[in-house]
Amino acid sequence: MRALPASSTRDVMMIFNGFPATVSALLASVVALNVSMPAAYGQSAQAPASDPSNAGKAVFAKANCLGCHKWHGNGGGGYGGDALSLRKTELTRDQIVETVGCGRPGTGMPFFMRGAYDEVKCHDMNRQDAGAQMPPEGGTFLRQKDIEAVADYVIAHIKGAGEPTYAECVTFFSSTSRVCDIYKTPATKPDDATASMGNRQ
Amino acid sequence: MRKFSGHSSTFTRAPLLAVAIAAGGMMAALPASAADQVSQERLLNVEKEPGNWLHHHQNYSAHRFSTLKEINKDNVKNLKVAWTMHLGGIEPGGIWSHGGLEGTPIAENGFLYVTDGWGSVYKIDAHGGRGVLVWKMDPKTDRDWAGAVACCGVDNRGVALWGDLVVSHTLDGRLIATNKETGQVAWQRTVANPDKGEVITGAPLIVKNMAITGVAGAEYGIRGWIAATDLSTQKEVWRTYTIPGKGEPGSETWKDSDNAAAAGGGSTWVTGTYDPATDTIIWGIGNPGPDWDNAYRPGDNLYTDSSLALDATTGKIKWHYQHTPNDPYDYDSVAENVLVDIPGPSGPRKLALEADRNGFAYAIDRTTGKFVWGLPFVKKVTWTKGLDPESGKPIEYDPNKPVQTYIASVTPSRTNLETDICPGNMGGKNWPPTAYNPELKLWYIPVIESCNRIKVEVMTPDKLKPREFWTGGGPSQPFRITGSVTAIDVTTGKIAQKMETPFPNLGGMLATPDLVFTGQPSGEVHALDAKSLQKLWEFNTGGGVNAPPMTFTVDGKQYVAILVGLGGAWDKWFIDSTPELKKIQPGSMLYVFAL
Repeated sequence: MRALPASSTRDVMMIFNGFPATVSALLASVVALNVSMPAAYGQSAQAPASDPSNAGKAVFAKANCLGCHKWHGNGGGGYGGDALSLRKTELTRDQIVETVGCGRPGTGMPFFMRGAYDEVKCHDMNRQDAGAQMPPEGGTFLRQKDIEAVADYVIAHIKGAGEPTYAECVTFFSSTSRVCDIYKTPATKPDDATASMGNRQ
Repeated sequence: MRKFSGHSSTFTRAPLLAVAIAAGGMMAALPASAADQVSQERLLNVEKEPGNWLHHHQNYSAHRFSTLKEINKDNVKNLKVAWTMHLGGIEPGGIWSHGGLEGTPIAENGFLYVTDGWGSVYKIDAHGGRGVLVWKMDPKTDRDWAGAVACCGVDNRGVALWGDLVVSHTLDGRLIATNKETGQVAWQRTVANPDKGEVITGAPLIVKNMAITGVAGAEYGIRGWIAATDLSTQKEVWRTYTIPGKGEPGSETWKDSDNAAAAGGGSTWVTGTYDPATDTIIWGIGNPGPDWDNAYRPGDNLYTDSSLALDATTGKIKWHYQHTPNDPYDYDSVAENVLVDIPGPSGPRKLALEADRNGFAYAIDRTTGKFVWGLPFVKKVTWTKGLDPESGKPIEYDPNKPVQTYIASVTPSRTNLETDICPGNMGGKNWPPTAYNPELKLWYIPVIESCNRIKVEVMTPDKLKPREFWTGGGPSQPFRITGSVTAIDVTTGKIAQKMETPFPNLGGMLATPDLVFTGQPSGEVHALDAKSLQKLWEFNTGGGVNAPPMTFTVDGKQYVAILVGLGGAWDKWFIDSTPELKKIQPGSMLYVFAL
């Protein structure tokens, strides 16, 4: 278990500081769509928009969990230290909720609960007790239901998963980016398989 | 070959743009005059057109020195903002929450060409004391693909000009040629592959109808290279790997049995220089990988951490000079080599100057690749007692040792898993460019006065995965980091002046006959006296300066321009060493100053 320096939370903060209105408005609409559309349009339960963990995925992106843990949750070493693998985590849902809310003292994992260590004790500590072990503050605060949603997302889609797959990647990004190409196997190679390689020589 | 529109359909000022497009169309209909065609002749003789800034580093020698002196030490106190322009490109992508601006504007005949972090190119008409956007070429960079393997930010350091083309790179590995008049993409070619962890952040160097491209990705297990593309045929002329292949000279400096060389790093992400007298390209080579576990890669690890001289026509290696053999610190040598001729007892000495991440400034004989002099340019160096006066190697370097330990008590290693180093791994100087005043023979270094803490992770071959970090540990920032501008007298190889700053210099330098311009990540742009480095003028941009200033003229009037928008590596990885900078907002703005 390795510490993740607080520096790696900078980008979390920048999302919050840089785009407060647009991001929150966008997210609000995404969440609203996810919740209201199936009811309004009578869509069936298997429609992607009705997956309750979609809200958690939105939080995973909004809070920039992927800035350190990566889209696949495997984390890994690097300039920012070593974010833990959420795929290999043994934390329970409650423990994940606590970790997101309170951060991990002595590491770079930020806290995302408003008032943590001030109005609410975390790990039985306030800010003074935590001292140098005080985790960094997340760039955006999350409501309790958002924290629970992201924990549900991690439990449902990341914890216990093996190596990342092409299908998972495409589901995460749902875009035309080539970010998923390296996970392609012969069976999943679509017709644009050569596009990413370009002309090397 | 895909063509992109010069304008995004999502641009909100449609009527204004329509006018711009119409104007662009009219210009395109006119025959381009020879004066607007950039040729090798013009690139070789930039001193004949002092009002333009045609090279990324101002000239082939990377002097970043302008002879313009309408703005001088007597009147610089009257310098004011002439105009500004908001740019774009701060969108998130991959592991990055926003882009930044690190580019040097190019100026030609009253038009500026600048890039944002995602590689959009903007042509700006600077006539009449104001800036008007002529066109924007958005390359539609694959942000998630490239941003996930960009170690150190969403960066693009600018364009080059050739013929009627604007030549640029994208983070996702492309070389793009855009028609200078219309903003339409003429052609593009894939040069680097993000699937291998390769991205491009540097500006191209144009030499004899070729665009020279460097690559980033030593933190992702790449094997570095420098590649030349023929700008007429769009074909690759040569590609020289910076890590020798099996059996090639230098391969004996990779002594492991795990084929570490195949993922050995040696990236080349800062634009190099060119000596036409010997048809030699000189390029700085980055760190070996994994960065901090040097026992994984016993041997000197050529040509990492070296200045490398290449035959420009063939790409063949002529000589190398390695600064930190078997580097355990991430002290890469990607910095530009500044080409300087100094009078000597037996004729001019032809030097290549490099301010290395390891805290030492070096002068190398650029004919032979031999060490001439070196000195620390930072206030604090802890990893070595100094350089051997003959060889220039760190005194503790032992060529018979497969794994170097230098001063072992502070050096990251498998027996010293957590340690503090000075300079920090970001270096005493990072990519921000130096400037050289050939009249005063002073060389100005933008300095990061730094220490930081390194934690080592012992690497094994199974940990090497495509598109995942391959660093063998990571840094943290328990110490405050400051900066300076340090001037070195190139005739003596001694420090002439040091002007300390509260924050590290993350932007780089511009020299004019009696001034030096630079900036701070806290927002200030400074003009300093070229000799005393005394501050003569300051303007607070309200953003974070992360790019070098440049100067040009329009209609005979001198301007100083600088891009402002804090991004890059500092913002994400090193910000804890400068806590006040956490409040600097992402931004994307061009500032232009005049009297």
